[in-house]
Amino acid sequence: MNVYSGRHYDSDRAVFRAFTKKTGIEVRSIEADGAQLLERLKAEGEYTNADLIMTVDAGNLTRLVEANLLAPVTSPALAATPARYRDEQGRWYAFARRARIVAYRKGAVDPTTIASMDDLTRLGLRGSICVRTSTNLYNISLLAARIVRDGPEKARAWARGVVANFARDPQGSDTDQIRAVAAGDCRVTIVNHYYLARMRSSGDPADKAVADKVGVVFPDQDGAGTHVNISGAGVSVHARHKDNALKLLEFMVSREAQTIIAELNDEYPVAPDVTLPAALAELGAFKAEDVPFAAIGARQAEAQRLYEEAGWR
Amino acid sequence: MALTALAPAARLGLAWPRIAGALAAIVCATPVFAVLAQAFAAAPSGAQDMMWRAIAGTLRLVTIAGGAATLLGATAAWLVTLCEFPGRRTFEWLLVLPLSAPVYVLSYAYGALTGPGGPIPIRMGGLTGAGFVYALGFYPYIYLAARAAFVSQSVCALEAARSLGASPWQAFVRVAAPLAWPGVAAGAALAGMEIAAEYGAAAYFGAETVTTGVFRAWFARGEPQLALQLASWLLIGALVLLALERFARGRRGFAGGSARWRPLPRARLAPAAAVAATLFCAGLATFGALLPLAWLVRLATFRPPNELSGIAAPLFNTLLLASAGASLTLVLATAVAVAARHPGGRIGALAASIGYAAPGAVTALGAFTLFGAAREAGWIGGLSGPLSFAALLWVYASRFAAAGAQPIEAGLSRVTRSMGEAARTLGAPPSRQLFAVELPIAAPAAIAGALIVFVDILKELPATLVLRPFDFETLATRAHAYAADDRLTQAAAPALLITLAGLAPVILLSRRLSRARAGGRG
Repeated sequence: MNVYSGRHYDSDRAVFRAFTKKTGIEVRSIEADGAQLLERLKAEGEYTNADLIMTVDAGNLTRLVEANLLAPVTSPALAATPARYRDEQGRWYAFARRARIVAYRKGAVDPTTIASMDDLTRLGLRGSICVRTSTNLYNISLLAARIVRDGPEKARAWARGVVANFARDPQGSDTDQIRAVAAGDCRVTIVNHYYLARMRSSGDPADKAVADKVGVVFPDQDGAGTHVNISGAGVSVHARHKDNALKLLEFMVSREAQTIIAELNDEYPVAPDVTLPAALAELGAFKAEDVPFAAIGARQAEAQRLYEEAGWR
Repeated sequence: MALTALAPAARLGLAWPRIAGALAAIVCATPVFAVLAQAFAAAPSGAQDMMWRAIAGTLRLVTIAGGAATLLGATAAWLVTLCEFPGRRTFEWLLVLPLSAPVYVLSYAYGALTGPGGPIPIRMGGLTGAGFVYALGFYPYIYLAARAAFVSQSVCALEAARSLGASPWQAFVRVAAPLAWPGVAAGAALAGMEIAAEYGAAAYFGAETVTTGVFRAWFARGEPQLALQLASWLLIGALVLLALERFARGRRGFAGGSARWRPLPRARLAPAAAVAATLFCAGLATFGALLPLAWLVRLATFRPPNELSGIAAPLFNTLLLASAGASLTLVLATAVAVAARHPGGRIGALAASIGYAAPGAVTALGAFTLFGAAREAGWIGGLSGPLSFAALLWVYASRFAAAGAQPIEAGLSRVTRSMGEAARTLGAPPSRQLFAVELPIAAPAAIAGALIVFVDILKELPATLVLRPFDFETLATRAHAYAADDRLTQAAAPALLITLAGLAPVILLSRRLSRARAGGRG
């Protein structure tokens, strides 16, 4: 059977291998950016070889749904996925989560003063924040979720407030932001949790030294909860191996597969009964925000516009 | 001796090369025109000021970084070809090396080297950072073209200038530089288009360019239509750039006194100047290649790939794609370049060349549009293995034809009217004139073009990523899978291999250039 994947992780290959070992079904895959794969799927139409489609980000999942490329499926195993982490018609199921967290230089910031994302607009943080560009999907979904929750006006005001606290123009990757915080270029940043988890367990002593200087806040634990984004998968409407696709999808949402992904890729599982590996257990469990992912996907274009209006490059 | 102006087109009076050229141009240009057709199929959407900022960013990068690359490349070429100073022979090939390193790798390297905690205490970001790596990564295009131009020019012209009382400097300014100008302009046009199309480094440094706007619109907003409209600005810009290059090159061609078997006289530099020349070349080689490579090697040794098979198959696939893609592109580019010497053929050459300024993902999107239409018409099914491979080669040809056609055209321009006349006097029919005289004369330039395309394909990422068949990994897709996720220690080994795989053709290219004189068959 064939997978089109918007992900590019060794952990997924390990999951496919485990699946093949268990079922004898061989898995072939093409990995590319989610938006690009969407265009390939549209061009191929009913002739596509894709059986299962996987991608990262709520927006990419929403666009697959809008293009009618995902078939509604359900089964007892799939229904075990918490309702918030699956499409209501069963067109996609999430199998991994990433939290957008706040990281700060230990000793330079009192973590209790940045307990909420809203705190990042405070006057006391002038010239303190490093963050990557608004082209980045993680940032876009972060603001899209705020638009859903608070409305566009408040979301724009928040973006403006963060921009006012920038230490430098947005540039570099999430890992670069963490390095900048550790080196003193800025004090606070917004990054995906696994970049920090990986630096902490890195084989490079320099990375480990950086990670040791940086503390973590899961924002809004007393309020709306921390923003999370998902990786999800669905069965292609044109799948030629529909049964096998369903089997792999069931495997993706299983405890077994999500343990592999959590261990190798440091993503939080979706299945409630997965034991967290050490790197994630150290970061801790957290309360996630409760914004529907389809709504996040629908507000992404607006989020991009608001970032531009706020001057967040 | 006189420099005689050439007729603009040496007409062979044959119809089929023009037909072949037109067909080749159509093959190369269709994905690009599919982009344009789709872009203008819908009304322009909003986001106007984002668009103007993006265009301003790209213009600044093309002029400033492109200008810097031209200055660096032309100076280096002049030094190693026409001057004598310590280390000259080593720098001859060392200075080509940055060509084999993808600029996105350069940007990661400089991000780490100059970033917080890095050894270089300078912070680079935005347009400055992108411009810096573009100047370093793309100067070899000008360097190679200018060297070819300097090497192939006539000693007689220089000697005539000297015997007329010109100082060595005057001979350079009044004779050597104007003679080399068409080559420099061609190289600069290629570098300018590369800069316009580049995405990885611009995104990394947070520079606002048309290309980052394209991906912002497409990936972040989910509006491919807007992305295509933005991308069409790149294609229009490429047309302008190529027209400028034509204009700069002028209608002049130079002929006469091509005594290429005599070694070029090199100006022996005064000690201070020689030291400056050595330092300049050493600095360029260090920042362009040696420093980033050393950084990659250090990273790669942190975590060597655990299994050889994880690298062997992608290496094989990469070389396979690059050879097949370069061969196809060479054939198409030759047809286009031959036809370009005939009336009307220029349009084909222009159409086939603008794809060089389109990001690979956009060209792939153009190809998808065509595939979608062909599928709906019932001509093809899905992009299964062989079709997907063919599609990839097609997109490469569309993307890189300019890099092949430009040098071949330059090579063909060395066919003088007297050569054609001589062939005809000896009774050679036009087709024999093409195959026995014109193409052999252009062959070295064609090989140079093919090698550049080969290296370009080695480095190509976005089109390869989305058009490849199942379970088909290349070095670039491997490096990307890790680098996109900040796992630079794992990305280092494949990235290093891309550079190493490009090293052989790049050195070959450089040596071939040096041998183009003084007993060489050039």
